[in-house]
Order: sequence, then C-alpha cells, then structure tokens
Amino acid sequence: MTGAVCPLALLSAGTEATVADVRADRGMRLRLAGMGLCPEVWVRVQCADWGSLIVSVGDARYALSRGIAMKVLVREAA
Amino acid sequence: MIGIRIALAGNPNVGKTTLFNALTGSRQHVGNWPGVTVEKKTGRINRNGHTIEVIDLPGTYSLTAYSADEVVARDYILEEKPDVVVQVVDATHLERNLYLTTQITELEVPVVIALNMVDEAEATGCTIDRERLSSLLEIPVVRTVGTRGEGLDDLLDAAVREAKTSPHHEHIVGYGNEIEAMIASLVGVLAADKDLGDRYPLRWLAARLLEGDENALAKVKESPVSSRVQDILSGTDLDEYEAAMADRRYDVIAAVLPQVRTAGARSMNVSEMIDRVVTDRYLGIPIFLALMWGAFELTFVVAAPFVALIEAGLAWLSAAVAGWLGPAWLASLVGDGIIGGVGSVLVFVPNIFILFLFLSFLEDTGYLARAAFIMDRLMYAIGLPGKAFIPMLIGFGCNVPGIMAARTIEGEKDRLITILVNPFISCSARLPVYILFAGAFFGAAAGAVVFFLYVLGISTAIGSAKLFRHTILPGESSPFIMEMPPYRLPTVGTSLLHTWSRGAMYVRKAGTIILAGALVVWCLASFPFGVEYGSSESLAGSLGRLLEPLVAPLGFDWKIAVALLFGLVAKEVVVGSLGVLYGTGEEGDALSTALLADPGLSAATALALMVFVLLYAPCLATIATIRKEAGSWRWAGFSVAYGLVLAWTLSLIVGRIAPFFLGGA
Amino acid sequence: MKNVIQGVFGAVLGALYTGFGALQIVAVFTGPAVPFVPASVFWGFVLLVIGAVLLRGARNLSRGLDDGIVFVNVGILLSVAFGAIALLAAGAGALEAAIAGEAWSVADAITPAAYLAVIGAAGSSRGAEGSSGGSVQHDATHP
Repeated sequence: MTGAVCPLALLSAGTEATVADVRADRGMRLRLAGMGLCPEVWVRVQCADWGSLIVSVGDARYALSRGIAMKVLVREAA
Repeated sequence: MIGIRIALAGNPNVGKTTLFNALTGSRQHVGNWPGVTVEKKTGRINRNGHTIEVIDLPGTYSLTAYSADEVVARDYILEEKPDVVVQVVDATHLERNLYLTTQITELEVPVVIALNMVDEAEATGCTIDRERLSSLLEIPVVRTVGTRGEGLDDLLDAAVREAKTSPHHEHIVGYGNEIEAMIASLVGVLAADKDLGDRYPLRWLAARLLEGDENALAKVKESPVSSRVQDILSGTDLDEYEAAMADRRYDVIAAVLPQVRTAGARSMNVSEMIDRVVTDRYLGIPIFLALMWGAFELTFVVAAPFVALIEAGLAWLSAAVAGWLGPAWLASLVGDGIIGGVGSVLVFVPNIFILFLFLSFLEDTGYLARAAFIMDRLMYAIGLPGKAFIPMLIGFGCNVPGIMAARTIEGEKDRLITILVNPFISCSARLPVYILFAGAFFGAAAGAVVFFLYVLGISTAIGSAKLFRHTILPGESSPFIMEMPPYRLPTVGTSLLHTWSRGAMYVRKAGTIILAGALVVWCLASFPFGVEYGSSESLAGSLGRLLEPLVAPLGFDWKIAVALLFGLVAKEVVVGSLGVLYGTGEEGDALSTALLADPGLSAATALALMVFVLLYAPCLATIATIRKEAGSWRWAGFSVAYGLVLAWTLSLIVGRIAPFFLGGA
Repeated sequence: MKNVIQGVFGAVLGALYTGFGALQIVAVFTGPAVPFVPASVFWGFVLLVIGAVLLRGARNLSRGLDDGIVFVNVGILLSVAFGAIALLAAGAGALEAAIAGEAWSVADAITPAAYLAVIGAAGSSRGAEGSSGGSVQHDATHP
C-alpha cells in the first residue's frame, strides 16, 4: 500500500483508497465511525461532482458533501 | 397479564418500520431512504397472555447522540429501560450494523438480533451462519424477512424469553488493558454517586466519558463526583481514546465476521449501475426533471376520465337531492353547501391518488435518496445540506410531515431554514386549486402551467433559503452525509398501501374540515335571511368586501377574498368555498364554466390567483407544526407574514406581466 | 462483440430519440409538420433526455469505456418507462372520450414516446443478455 495521503474529496470517480485519518470534530468522527468510515477502511469513490460525492464503504454507499470529504484523509491504492 | 416492552432499534433503512408494521399490524409509513421514522412509535400486541408493547425507534448508526433522532433512540433505551431491545440488522451490511450492536450491549439491556433482509444478502451469493453469530455474540439471532412477515413468531418468542431471563451474558467489547483500566477507575469514582448508578450503566457511562461524549459529560455535571471525574479525564487525550475504542469495536467485528459470513462474488450491481447514470454530473438533473414531469403528466391525463366519472356522479346526486328535499333552504344546504363544497374537492381524488402513487413508487425504489444527492449541489449553493431536499420532497405530499422530516438535519440553523421554506413546496392540497383554474383557463396547456407553479414553488423555497441564510440565520451549512439505499422494486401491495394511507387522509379531510368549512361558507352566503344566495348582500359578501381592498390590486374580487380567507383552514377549501359561492353544485364541470363566465376573471388573473394560493400563509395544520418544530410562535408568525407579503408581491407582478405573454387571452 | 451491438443500438435509438424530441419542440413554434409527431415542449424535453443518455452510452462504448453499457441500459429503461406513461396517457384519453361520447382515433395514441419505446423494449430483451455478460466487474477484495 503506497501513495500519498490526500483528502477524499480530491479523488476522482472510480478511485479506490484506504482511509488514513478522519480530521473532523468528535461528534462527526463518532458518527462516521458508526457508518463504517474510520481509519484502515477501504473505500471506493463512485461518483465525484461539484458539490458532493458517493463513496462505497464496505457494502454500503454514502453520499458525502465536499465539506466532510475534505476532512477524511485517504491513501490512494496503488 | 404481564407487560413486556420491546424496543426496535437499528441502523436507518434496515426495515425496522416494516417489521414493526408486520408485528403490530399497524400501517406506519415506510420508505426506502434513511430516516423515515423521526419519532418513536408504539404498538401493542397480545400474545400467550403477555401484553407486548413494541416501540419503533428512529434508526441510528451509533448511539453517540450526534443528531436529534439519535438522542431519541438513546434516551429511550437509557431512561425508559425497555425489557428487551430488538436490534434489526440488515444482513447485507453486517459490519456497520454490528457496530451499533456493540454499543447497545454496553447499555446492559437484553438484546435480540433480528437478522433482516437475509433474502437480499443471499441473492448476492452471501451466506450467514446465524447460529455461529449468535454464539459468538452471546445474543439470540433470529432470521426475519420483514416484507414477507417471516420469522415474526420466532422473534417474539426469543424477545419474551430474553426479557424474562436474568442475568444476561451479552458479549461486551473489551477495549484493551489500558482503556479498561481507565474505565475501571472511572466506574470506581462514579459508583460513589448512587443516583447515577441507579440511572445509568456505569461502565457505559465511563466509556462515553472517555470518548468525550458531551451528552454523557452533561449527565455527570450535577453529580458530586463530577470534579473527581474531571481530574481523571483532564490528564488524558480523549481523541486518542475515542479513535482506539472505535478501532477495537471494528476489530471485534472483523474477528467475528469471517467466521459467520461467506461473501459472494461481487460485481458492479444493478444499484451502482443505475446510480452511475442518474447521478451523472450532466444528466442527473435532466433525468430528475423528466421523471417529475412524467409524474404530472400522469397526474393530469390519466386521472381525467376518473375525474369525469366522479363529476357525472356528483351531478346526478345533486339533481336527485334537489328532487327529494322539500324546503328550498334544505335543498340549497345539501346541494350548494355540502355537495358543492365537498364535491368540488372530492373531484380531485383521482389526481391526488395518482400523484401519491408515483411519489410512493419513486420513494420505494430508492430514487428519492438519489434526488437528494443530485440536489445537494444546488442545495450547497443556497447554503443548505442536500438532506434538506428530502423534507421538501415530502412536502409535495403534505407540508406537515415535510416539516417534521427536517429533524434529521443536524445543524439547528439548517433545520430552521428547511422548516421555514417548506410551505412554499406545493403540497397536494393546493393541486385542486391549480387543476380547477389551469383546467378552466389554460385548457391543453394546463399541465405546463401546473408544472410552472411547482417550479415556482421550488424556486421560491430556494430563493428564500438563500435570503434567510444571508440575513436572519447566517452561517455555514452543516456537512451532509447520507446513505444511498439499494434500489428495490416495490411490490404493488406496498405502493398501493402507501398511496391509500396518504390518499385516505385527503378523503378524510374532505369529510371533516372541508365539510365544516363548506358549511360555514354556505351559512355566510345564505344569511341574513332573504338575501339572494351568495350575493354581495350576504354575510360572505360583507366579509369579502371588507377584504376586497386588500386583494383588489391583484384583480381578485370579494368571492376570491372569502375563498382565500377560508383557504387558511386547508387550501382545498379555496375550491370548496368557490364551489359554494358560485352555487354550482348541480352540474359536473359547472364551477369551471362559472369561473370562465365571470367577467372579472381572465387567464392572467387566474395565474396570479394560483401563484397567490401557492405562496400565501400556510394552512393551520402547517402553522401549528412550524410552531411545534421551531419551538416558538415567533417563527410560525414570521412564516405567515413572510408568505403573505411574498404572495401578494409575486402575484401582483405575475398578474401584470402575464397578459403580455398570454396575448391578452 | 456484444459491446459493439449495444453501442450501435444505443447510437441509433439515441439519434432517433434526439431527432424526434427536437421535432416535437420545433413543432410548438411551426405547428405540427410531420405526421404522428405532435407539438409538445415537455415530451420533446423528455425524448431529448433519453436520447442524451443513450448517445452518451454509445459514445463511451466507442471509446472503449465499459460503463457505456450501463448508460445504454438505463436509457432503454427510461425509454420503456416513458413509453408506458405515454400509453397510459393515451388509454386515459380514449377512456375520457368514451365517457364524454367524443370522437377518438388510434392516431392520438401514436406519439414518438410510444413507438420509440417499442424499439427500446425490443432492445431491452437483448440488453438483458448483454448486461449480464458484459457488466463491469470490480475486484472488491479488501486489502
């Protein structure tokens, strides 16, 4: 697993990555953990657009606004 | 007779409400998107001599009390202490669902897992070893298929058995030596406050304190041990604990899952395929608009023959009644008042049902969640999270549930804005007014005119949101995160059931509030004795003339003024009142004809009137809901005043501009 | 091979939808010129959207992108769905005419959304085979 760490929001559609860190406030971090978005988890960007993106996390798919996606740091899969 | 309380908990959109309905035989609204249940609901069943109370809690991803609906779920389990919590687990998303399980077991309540949607998991080639899962978690696991009502008896048996057994041995996640030591020392301190110990499971409370949970901190604030708790917490980095604890939970799940689940081969599934297209950057919005327009086309064209049938039926009834009833005043009361008023609203039942059927279909397939995503771009631009679009969509049916659905929005300002703009979303009650006037004055273009009104409603909501965001409720919109449920082909039964339960409300309203409104208007139009019915000498006429100066600049006469006033009760009453005031209970489309014949009404005035009805003050039920949800009369009053001013201004403009476009029609 | 068939099918049907959609919109201004193409801004818009989805699929397939199949299939789905709406609307028109005792001819039911959907439906049976064989496979093993 190589590749630099960058915000999830900057990935383009179809990219796969693992979450490196979640830099949100506590409440948001706990909520994201409940949804399965926490470090070492594998994600795939399905759709990335101006405002928001859809990511697959495990078996689930979430729509995230850019604001959150900027706070989730990921390591792009090689 | 022993009473047992079962709380249904679980992630959003795992089928809790479907299971609740199947268990209790009730017909709560179910939708294919997260967060349909925002308030807990209660149902009762009798079984083998037990009275079982089932409580449907809002769906939550975790019990961190991050948003209003999570607090409802968590507080219920903590404060009301149900005898057993049935966690409904979506077998297709086992990982995330079990994360919630680890948090529920910490609350030290008996837990039973209802492994739901197993059929969907198996369809993807995945198998789950239920017994192994049960023994690893030390929790009974029952297989259920809520939509077909499978496994309900087993589930109830397991729940009753669990509720009556004690002590329990639910598996609780261990957080490793360091954290466990911290928890132990915190529990030691907390135990000194007996009151806290009675109210909350101390291990749970200690763990939440370590995570820095503000709600938990508030719970110990008043306690005498508060300062000692602070001493322990101050020397530690809570962020680190919180991350480590979430990791530990997933570690436990990661250890369990491979032992119980064999995953099927994964390919790009149908949901992902469809999403690829309908959420496309360029095509997403056009597809959404095309579908919405399809809904209106169906609503108008397909309903038309049924409307014609109802009209014919009412005309026959009206004529028959006039023959049977002796005294002229009684014939007038029944003919003009009841049949004229209620009938003119009932005529639109086919339209309402078809619109609901289409909306239910889109909702049940899961498309509406995509619509929220597509709209997130737009919503982001106006300063609201994309989630705020769902209350708006629900608002198309009725603004009351729309405003209540705003509860899933986390930020308080976001929620207020979403509530305040919801009345501009054209609810189904306004549809009869459009159908009547657009049908009478615009003929074949009626569908386009109504579409324009809906778009105007949406634009007004968006514009107002932007205005509020920049003036009275400034700030950033809170970030948006929402699950995209998989597409499901709804069964004919569920779609019809939704349509029926929503449509029936419309019919009931016609029988109660609109009947009452029609009778009041009839009385006003008939008294004082001796005046010509519905003339300007009647009470209604006096009232109307009192109001007339206010709406005269818009081109409305006293009859419309009266109808608009009564329309505040419920917007359909506008049509009902006009039906009474024009005294057109006798023939089918008599009201349209009467309106067309009125020299005071032109196509431009009709358009201005429709715009006014779209935007002016919300109906009483909506005003009351705004008061309740926003927490003060101030906001409800603001909503009414803002709506009136906006409606007046915009319909003045429309009334003046329209003639140029309509070519003086 | 299947991709090629799907691509050509998408391109042809997409072009038809786009063409008829444009005709329906133009007819609003010029009056109906072509038989069985009534003037309607909204139906024209719907046809253009379906055409755009299909053409996008054909274009992606021609560039060797597998997701083109997905666009073609969803385009066919939309085609059939709106065809059904058009048929329902036509049926309702017939029923209404029958109730009111007015004249109604089958010609009123022949709109582009209806007859193009027949081609779409024909393609959907073939498309079902194509999609199961040609769907995009993803390796979802977690690292």
